[in-house]
Amino acid sequence: MIDISSLLESIKAEPYTELSVRAPHTGVVRFEGLQPGQRVNGPGGEWKEVPGTLIATITRENNPKPVAAADKGVIQAIHTGLDGKFVEAGAELGVLRHYLSRDEVVRMLLRESLSLFCAPERAKYYFVPDIDKKVKISGSRTVSVQDGMELFIASRMKREIPLCYTGPEGIIYEVYFNQNENVDTGSPLIGVCPPDQRGVIEDVIARVQMEWVEME
Amino acid sequence: MEKKHKVLIANRGEIAVRIMQACRRLGLDFVAVYTAGDASSGHVRLARELGGERALYRISSYHDANELLSVADAAEATAVHPGYGFFAEDFRFARRVTERDRRLVFIGPSWRVIRELGDKINTKRLARSLGVPTVPGSDRPIYDELEAEKVARSLFDFQLQQGVTQPLVLVKASAGGGGMGIEEVYDIDVFRSVYRRIRNYAMRQFKDEGVLIEQRIRDFNHLEVQIVSDRTGKRPVHFGTRNCSIQSTGLQKRLEVAPGFDPSSIEYGFDAAALLESITSHSLAMARKVGYDNVGTWEWIVTREGHPFLMEVNTRIQVENGVSASIARVRGEQVDLIAEQLRVGLGQPLGYGQEDISFEGVGVEYRIIAEDPAAGFTPWVGDIERFEWESRPWLTLHTHVPPVSPEEPYSIPTEFDPNLALAILWGKDLAEVRERGLNFLDSLRLEGHDAKGSPLRSDVDFLRAGTARILRFS
Amino acid sequence: MDWDKQLHQLTERLNYVRDIFADKHQEDIGLLEKRLAELRQGIEAGTVTKPREGLSTLEDLFFFMECKLEDRLTPMDKVRIVRHPQRICLRDILENVYDNYTEIGGQDEHTNDPAMLIARAYITRRRGRKVFHQSVLVIGHEKGHGEEFRNGGSAKPWGNAKVQHYMQVAETEGIPVHAYVFTPGGDPVEDYPGAAQQIARNIYEMAGLEVPVVAIFSEGGSGGAEAIALADRRLMFSHGYYSVISPEGAAAIEGRLKRGERASAELVERCAANLHLTAEDNVRFGYIDRIIQEPVLGARPYHFEFFRTIRQEVIRATDEVVLGIRGFAPMRGTALRRLRDRELNLDEMYVRWNLSRKARRRLVEKRQKHFLRISRGACLNRRSLWGRLSDAWAEQWWELYNRLIYDFYHRKRRSFSNALEEVESEWDLLKRRITAPWRTLRRTFGKKREASAATEKELTTLSEWDRTEERGDWAWVTARAKEDRAITCPNTGVHGCMDLWAPDLYNEFAGVCATCGHHFPMEYQWLMYNCFDQNSLFEFNAEMESGNPLDFPGMDTRLADAREKTGLKSACITLEARVDGTQIVAAILTASFRGGSVGAAEGAKLVAAAERARRKRYPFIVYCHGTAGIRIQEGTHGLVQMPRCTVAVRRYIEAGGLYLVIYDTQSYGGPVASFLGCSSYQFAIRSSNIGFAGPGVIKNTTGRDIPPDYHNCFQALSRGHIQGVWDRRDVRANLRQALMTMGGRNLYYR
Repeated sequence: MIDISSLLESIKAEPYTELSVRAPHTGVVRFEGLQPGQRVNGPGGEWKEVPGTLIATITRENNPKPVAAADKGVIQAIHTGLDGKFVEAGAELGVLRHYLSRDEVVRMLLRESLSLFCAPERAKYYFVPDIDKKVKISGSRTVSVQDGMELFIASRMKREIPLCYTGPEGIIYEVYFNQNENVDTGSPLIGVCPPDQRGVIEDVIARVQMEWVEME
Repeated sequence: MEKKHKVLIANRGEIAVRIMQACRRLGLDFVAVYTAGDASSGHVRLARELGGERALYRISSYHDANELLSVADAAEATAVHPGYGFFAEDFRFARRVTERDRRLVFIGPSWRVIRELGDKINTKRLARSLGVPTVPGSDRPIYDELEAEKVARSLFDFQLQQGVTQPLVLVKASAGGGGMGIEEVYDIDVFRSVYRRIRNYAMRQFKDEGVLIEQRIRDFNHLEVQIVSDRTGKRPVHFGTRNCSIQSTGLQKRLEVAPGFDPSSIEYGFDAAALLESITSHSLAMARKVGYDNVGTWEWIVTREGHPFLMEVNTRIQVENGVSASIARVRGEQVDLIAEQLRVGLGQPLGYGQEDISFEGVGVEYRIIAEDPAAGFTPWVGDIERFEWESRPWLTLHTHVPPVSPEEPYSIPTEFDPNLALAILWGKDLAEVRERGLNFLDSLRLEGHDAKGSPLRSDVDFLRAGTARILRFS
Repeated sequence: MDWDKQLHQLTERLNYVRDIFADKHQEDIGLLEKRLAELRQGIEAGTVTKPREGLSTLEDLFFFMECKLEDRLTPMDKVRIVRHPQRICLRDILENVYDNYTEIGGQDEHTNDPAMLIARAYITRRRGRKVFHQSVLVIGHEKGHGEEFRNGGSAKPWGNAKVQHYMQVAETEGIPVHAYVFTPGGDPVEDYPGAAQQIARNIYEMAGLEVPVVAIFSEGGSGGAEAIALADRRLMFSHGYYSVISPEGAAAIEGRLKRGERASAELVERCAANLHLTAEDNVRFGYIDRIIQEPVLGARPYHFEFFRTIRQEVIRATDEVVLGIRGFAPMRGTALRRLRDRELNLDEMYVRWNLSRKARRRLVEKRQKHFLRISRGACLNRRSLWGRLSDAWAEQWWELYNRLIYDFYHRKRRSFSNALEEVESEWDLLKRRITAPWRTLRRTFGKKREASAATEKELTTLSEWDRTEERGDWAWVTARAKEDRAITCPNTGVHGCMDLWAPDLYNEFAGVCATCGHHFPMEYQWLMYNCFDQNSLFEFNAEMESGNPLDFPGMDTRLADAREKTGLKSACITLEARVDGTQIVAAILTASFRGGSVGAAEGAKLVAAAERARRKRYPFIVYCHGTAGIRIQEGTHGLVQMPRCTVAVRRYIEAGGLYLVIYDTQSYGGPVASFLGCSSYQFAIRSSNIGFAGPGVIKNTTGRDIPPDYHNCFQALSRGHIQGVWDRRDVRANLRQALMTMGGRNLYYR
């Protein structure tokens, strides 16, 4: 169906993603003295209770707030020119190179091989309450969907509209959206694995487990 | 003004555009804000045009007071204009602006006034203490079942005596708001069960058993009185009345007219001129009592029989301020109420009295909104490709939609209401303004497509239908 | 190969000595080691001609050295003795002290908690030819000579629950309880109903248990020990320890160590000495009644002579308890005097152990009074003599007054007014029936029009209403509300809460996030002034002051700092106040004074407050703003506040009062596991974390990592520890509601 080998090769050629570290809001930035090339960690601990490496502090209304690394990786650039200056919301503070882990590669490949259901319009999406409960308690992979099933609530402009799933029958293998965040038109919401595709999917996972060497 | 002020415009869209223009007119500096999702809005373009990059900051959210104030400090602003919506009626924001270490001027009433009039029970009691008519019913939370039933019973009797054929009583949780915990009662025999339901709901939800009982009034017109006062709060003036009765199904205003009634061309079942006189004088009396010190609106409902009741006070500039301004003249000159608000907000005396204000003709305001009136006014989202109208001397059109073409469309942001423009028209009498209105709506070209390819929907047809019933009880 | 076995025994003895002295006394131990090695070599090589003689010489040397070292035992060495796998354990005692026993609900690891052992046993005594089997319930911790599954004798909540159940059984059957304390502390696992909660229930149970209880301490580790040790007689092995915290734990706190760091041996040694945890110390303080002398360097399973001593001592203790409350007073004296004779073989005399109903009540009364009395001298009371005298006078007056008013006058008045009410309502009914036709007539032909003007006036003009509670204005506001700064809610990642402006947050919002309802911690004054009626506070016993009864090094300056910082004399404020007009007695544990830890002064104030609430027939509310546990620097002076205060509140509850506990911020340790946890009405403000041991302590003692919300109040609610979670802004309303709906028969405000 899809050429997993070549896809995997192309990821291997560039086995990382570049994450931009941005100011969450306006304020005065102070960097913590990290230099390009230094390693940083993402949130850790069994319950993600240990925050990631501190990159900068941004002070707004006398309230210093840490800007921590969202994932582990190596610092590519750090815009120290902004140190002590007032920045706008969303200003780039630095760039992080994050080397892909096995799970992330699997997710990338699955995105290509699963049957995706995309957002018909820009809105915030939620699962309908009983599905939401199921997903939260036992994970999305226990939920099977079929064509025409009422699955989502799309919320925009303070109004909520139910949205039905269309596509092949199967289980929800991956969830691509977060609550309280807008999803753009055409971005995938969920990846569905039809029963006859299971073999292919498992094959993808097995291959990544075998072939992918994690860096760091 | 001794000091050169710089105003932070803590809002977006059409009102931000109008505040910028008013600042320009008064020779004030300003600083504007925008969010990443709203970067193509007309107010961003105008801010760049008028003030350059230094007058524009990107923030994470319009709803975050910390963002606004941190920008105010970074840009060295000295005053904040909240516009309408967002922080306009938030007394805590007003308090913070004026009481923080680096104090700013809040362009709006003082926070105590906002708090006082922001509480509906408080407003109602204040009104009653001055003899201002309010909706019949309790003016305080009722905790006792027997007392509640007594009030409900006398409300039914009262309505029957007034000739109301189907009396209705409203039971609502006093601590509630926004339509939660409100029920209608049509028969005194079911009152107790409804009362208990609401009381238990209120107890669970708000930890307060208090319940309000009021007459439910149907068939009324929604009138407003525009008040302006300077910081002394001693000599408020009014800029006439407006009629905002033409609303969407969700009770959102769509078409406003000034003045509130027009007895010269329409026959009413009561003395309309006297009624307008009475609600303006009541409103002014209340404004004097609380020391109201900025622009504000007193909202009234007037029944078909001509009984006025004060509903609430909006302690902010309103969307429809332009329609009042269109018929008002100060010593024969046109006024801009937003500029007046800025001026008095920054501490200047008003400089004129009620006797200097005169009224001329009839004004109408259309709110042009991308929505589908046929489907319960659901917002429409997509790209606008064409938005044109004929320029006329009697027409003012406020919009934050930048010039568009099919090649360069404007995408309506999904986070906000899809208001596109306000069109304000003036005519020397009702007949003329009505004709001009239809004329304008016919000439309006508004086209676009959404992601699925279906054409833009707007409320233009609804406005056209509404034009026929201006200032009438329908 | 007899000498082989003996050599092995000596090696074991050598290892034992080496273990308990850690790296000390190398010279003496080295000598023994050398001589033992020489002898072994000699015997194996056949060069020693008379192995038996050599062995007995060496054995003598061993004994000599052991005696010499015995004199040089430090407190920490005793701790090591107690922890040694060779130390006697409860099963050895059951085998050797009692004549017959059946273990209940446990076969090695096949039990719900192998750390807690329950057995029914009997002791055979004879008088002349007559033989008596005297049943007892034996409970205690089982360390099992280092068996892994015994968890080192740390009982889990369900182990303690098992004990609670069987104590009730013993009560039903009327047999004495022998409790053997062999625990380093309770296991801090917070499963139903929570470690602290179960220990509190045990202590509460024992505070009123109507059978004789004798506790024997070997290893008395803090709360876990107290869970079974509230006894009529407390005996202690001479080499045991009884302490509020392990020396390592104290060292971690004293050395301000971070999670995972280890204290130096020297610091641990010093802490062990400062804690005064030995048997002699505790006898001196009065928390232990008698010491059972152990063999040199501590008892091991082959010291059969020692088991006989234990047997004599527990029998004597039980006899003393029984004789002390039974029957005819003059006879009691002679019997007790006879018991004091150490030479007497108690197996050969007989004292009946079952008690009459009256004696049972006397037993409990005596036990309670004893615990209320202890540790009195361990705190400072700066109240003047005149003040104390007038207090005593006031107490007597209240006692008399309330007897008169409530027990006599009110009861009579109520029965009279009840009767009157009944008559009135009968009359009312009759009247309505008679006038009914007349009223219908009036309704149908009544004049309506006239009423309308009045109705209209009523519905549209101002009614009478005074707004008593001004919106958003709290009587007390923290100084933090004056800072111009924004505060970030910790839940912003989950709920997207906006930063809050400190003056809004700490004043109007009462420290509650407007978006998600997260509760920021507030000072104790917030609740004290905003929940109780204004100007209704009257503090009493303010002169009671935290002291330093153990002369713990550095503690005096730390107390002085705390006094200066907070303006308080102890971590406990006791006051009378009103809640919406209802008089109450309240005790507040303030987290700002040494973490809200409880020592002798705090305990004394709590006891006095409970007593005052009982005397005045007011509800008793303990507001636990925060507590870090028992104040470790007071050692067992602090620890005994657990049973002591529990006894006080039990007496109050049984007198018919309402005992209500409100938690705020962090509440851990002994107080939660005793007098706070024993309340049937415990509520938590949403900011609370409640548990037996804090996250750091759990990591240090068990090595387990725990989830961040492990002690959250909602978890405590889910597992059945507390009865409700309150929003801070509604505390007043909830408290009023609680006063109206809960509590015992003696609350006369209703």
